[in-house]
Amino acid sequence: MKTTAKETGTSYTNGNTNVLPEPERKGRLLDLKSLTGKRVTWIIILLLLFAVPLLITKNSYLFLLTNIFIWSVFAMSYNLLLGYTGIISFGHAMFFGIGAYSLALTARHVPSGEFGFLLAILLTVGICFVLSLIVGLLSLRLRDTFYALITLAVATIFVIIAEQWRSMTMGNDGFNFTATLSRDLFGFINLLDRRHVYYIALIFLIAMFLVLKRFIHSPVGRTLQAIRDNEERVASLGFSVLNYKLISNVVAGVMAGLAGVVYAISIRFVSPASVLGVEKTIDVLLMTVIGGVGTLLGPIIGAGVVEVSSHYLMGLANIHPIFERWVIMFGVVFILIILFFPAGIVGTINQKYKSKKRKGKSHE
Amino acid sequence: MTMLKINGLHTHIEQFHILQGVDLEVPEGSVTVVLGRNGAGKTTTIRSIMGFYPNMKGEILFKEESLMNSPTYTIAKKGIGYVPEDQDIFAGLTVEENMRVAMRKEDDKTFERQEWLLGLFPDLKTAWKRKGGHLSGGQKQMLSIARALVNETPLLLIDEPSKGLAPIMVEKVMEAMNVIRETTTILLVEQNFMMASQLGDYFYMIDEGRTVFDGSMQLLLDDEGLRKKYLGIA
Amino acid sequence: MELHLTLVFNGLATGMLIFLLAAGLSLIFGLMSVLNFAHGALFMFGAYMGTWVYILIGGWDSPWGNVNFFIGMGAAALIGVILGYVVERFTVRQVYGNHLRQILITTGVMLVVGELVKVFWGPNLIRVVQPEFLTGNFMVGDVRLTYYRLFIIIFSTTILVLLLFMLKKSKLGIVVRAGVENSDMIQALGVNVRKVFTLVFVFGTVLACIGGYMWGPYQGQVNPGMGLDLMLIAFIVVAIGGLGSVAGSAVAAVLVGLSEAYMAYYFPPGSLAVNMLIMATVLLIKPTGIFGAGR
Repeated sequence: MKTTAKETGTSYTNGNTNVLPEPERKGRLLDLKSLTGKRVTWIIILLLLFAVPLLITKNSYLFLLTNIFIWSVFAMSYNLLLGYTGIISFGHAMFFGIGAYSLALTARHVPSGEFGFLLAILLTVGICFVLSLIVGLLSLRLRDTFYALITLAVATIFVIIAEQWRSMTMGNDGFNFTATLSRDLFGFINLLDRRHVYYIALIFLIAMFLVLKRFIHSPVGRTLQAIRDNEERVASLGFSVLNYKLISNVVAGVMAGLAGVVYAISIRFVSPASVLGVEKTIDVLLMTVIGGVGTLLGPIIGAGVVEVSSHYLMGLANIHPIFERWVIMFGVVFILIILFFPAGIVGTINQKYKSKKRKGKSHE
Repeated sequence: MTMLKINGLHTHIEQFHILQGVDLEVPEGSVTVVLGRNGAGKTTTIRSIMGFYPNMKGEILFKEESLMNSPTYTIAKKGIGYVPEDQDIFAGLTVEENMRVAMRKEDDKTFERQEWLLGLFPDLKTAWKRKGGHLSGGQKQMLSIARALVNETPLLLIDEPSKGLAPIMVEKVMEAMNVIRETTTILLVEQNFMMASQLGDYFYMIDEGRTVFDGSMQLLLDDEGLRKKYLGIA
Repeated sequence: MELHLTLVFNGLATGMLIFLLAAGLSLIFGLMSVLNFAHGALFMFGAYMGTWVYILIGGWDSPWGNVNFFIGMGAAALIGVILGYVVERFTVRQVYGNHLRQILITTGVMLVVGELVKVFWGPNLIRVVQPEFLTGNFMVGDVRLTYYRLFIIIFSTTILVLLLFMLKKSKLGIVVRAGVENSDMIQALGVNVRKVFTLVFVFGTVLACIGGYMWGPYQGQVNPGMGLDLMLIAFIVVAIGGLGSVAGSAVAAVLVGLSEAYMAYYFPPGSLAVNMLIMATVLLIKPTGIFGAGR
């Protein structure tokens, strides 16, 4: 696989658009023993995650973990575009923000907690569906780079709307809606209890992970990956590339919107900068690339790494103001990863693991 | 002396193994023709010589000097002219500018060569200020050849110059090539067997990415069975 | 009538300043197919560096204020050369031929350069004033126009004319135009396209840095948000004008500048939406932009 262009006289412009790592292949040929081993590991991890609120009582840690789960979903949805479809969006945060604002506004204006919650979800799914369809139709038929540009522009318009429509959104200041969050949603959920929110986010992550996994291994998902690897070939086989990209765009958009809903529950506050800005898209882009583009687990690992390290780096700002500029470190790491480890953390580990196994086999 | 020599050339394009052992020798002063069916690897061979593919194995020698791992522009600078299959005329540039882009030095000698080429292709002179995109197919072919020869060019690689041209244009191009061959060694890829056989001294037959047969053009003209087998013509 | 004259004048000034940013972006995209997301950050860095030098050597208040202004501009241009070279050489060059990784890596550069601005000059805006000889107004009939805007229009138009002339007549210009069409073929003619790429990238960055520097006194300040805001507008301009076309960038930049000026007067929050609308309309009718060659 050509990853770095060498000083040869090769084509610079007609090259492949995608030389991103292949997605991890499911180990179908694994023997039963290691398969069960893998399952057991997963079950233990899940059990541990479910036990966390019983073991950890400090709210700030629960809060951090909750946000990691939500960002994971957001990053997973982004990865569907970047890693599995090969398109790069600079406006993904608009879906996230729409979800967050939907919940915030219904929490504030709708008296019934249940109805408000369901309305928020309905609004989010509906708006994100239509919006992602329109944006996709507008941009996906143009050159691939235009998608980045048009999503950036559309998202910026949403930021401007959120800033200007003060009567509704309180403008740049945003608003807090802790007081109006339901304490007995469906009779048993207290949205002000960090443990409850933790479980919501965890279950949300697991559900979305399974959905995405199914989607990626479905015929549609496989076609998408084929498009990513060689668009012309898939088109020449008679597939409507645009339709497949639209599907991916819509799924990613709705998923990001739902993540926004849960995020609003967790942070109890919305403002253009905290849920809608381009910076949020860049955050999620960092997570996806650092964790591993085109891998299922990559975005989760990436979200964990970025959230935890930014949490601690921000804490260090008291020691030296340079740590306020922690984004710069992410930028440098990000560039290094693109240059030297384009497969990200998970992808690189997968490659190492695979080549090790191949070596092991050749020795037998 | 041998102008160009290729030994056991393998070329991969992405995951595809296109050339799987091409051998070829172009004697100085000759016109050597590469023949073969569509998709046999003729164009890939020429493009490999120009260094367009990063993934190659084997040996390409130009005047006994290896061209492997050289970037395209240095290969061109050594004195190899390249006329691609679809001419690749710069559509937004005038004929004049297309010639100028190719000039490595803008000295008297180069302009003399340009005059000589314009004498060879008078059509270009009449279209001198016209945009490349507005030329006819024949004019594009002429411009592409002239552009490749405007510098000192011991070796010219031409990919299917007769493709898509009217018979009268093919005639004109062939006439010009007969003049050019006096000073330039030519490696020609050609599907048009009439043209190939009239110009060529030697031929190389490529099939499925390999050299399968070679010899003097007379040999091929005499052997109908061979022509049928590899070219599908009698 | 006076209102419209003023608005058109303002629009021209804004547009021509945006042109400085968009021209480089367009050439870089046209020649190398790189959608340079770092362009806005480089523009901002140039603005800060130039402004910093301008203020450092005495600024607009000193008797040398007029000279200081041009020294600041020189500093902006110089940092443009350095940044352009470093960014092209160490990041963009590594990923030619892969659109996705190009966008990703320039985004990384955008983050780093954007944060460096805050590291060096803090997160707050810096006030900056035009030099004395460009301060004030003059009257054309009943219309009051400012000297600084006039300066921007003259300066940028000069650059535009020089640029068009170079592209039209010089060998390098012809090579660049040929490269925009087909960079493989110019290599096969013996041109080291990498060198041309570096040169164009550096040149585009210098134009952006100068543009950024001139943007400062125009707005009365430089701030860490200006990079992203203006880059988006520059992208829109490039898309409207046609990738790789300098003349197209100029026309589109003026168009966008005019819409900005009018919207600023009538309904400021809607200016981006109007520009988007223009872009969407152009792209629907002609996906390669007004001046773009169909490829």
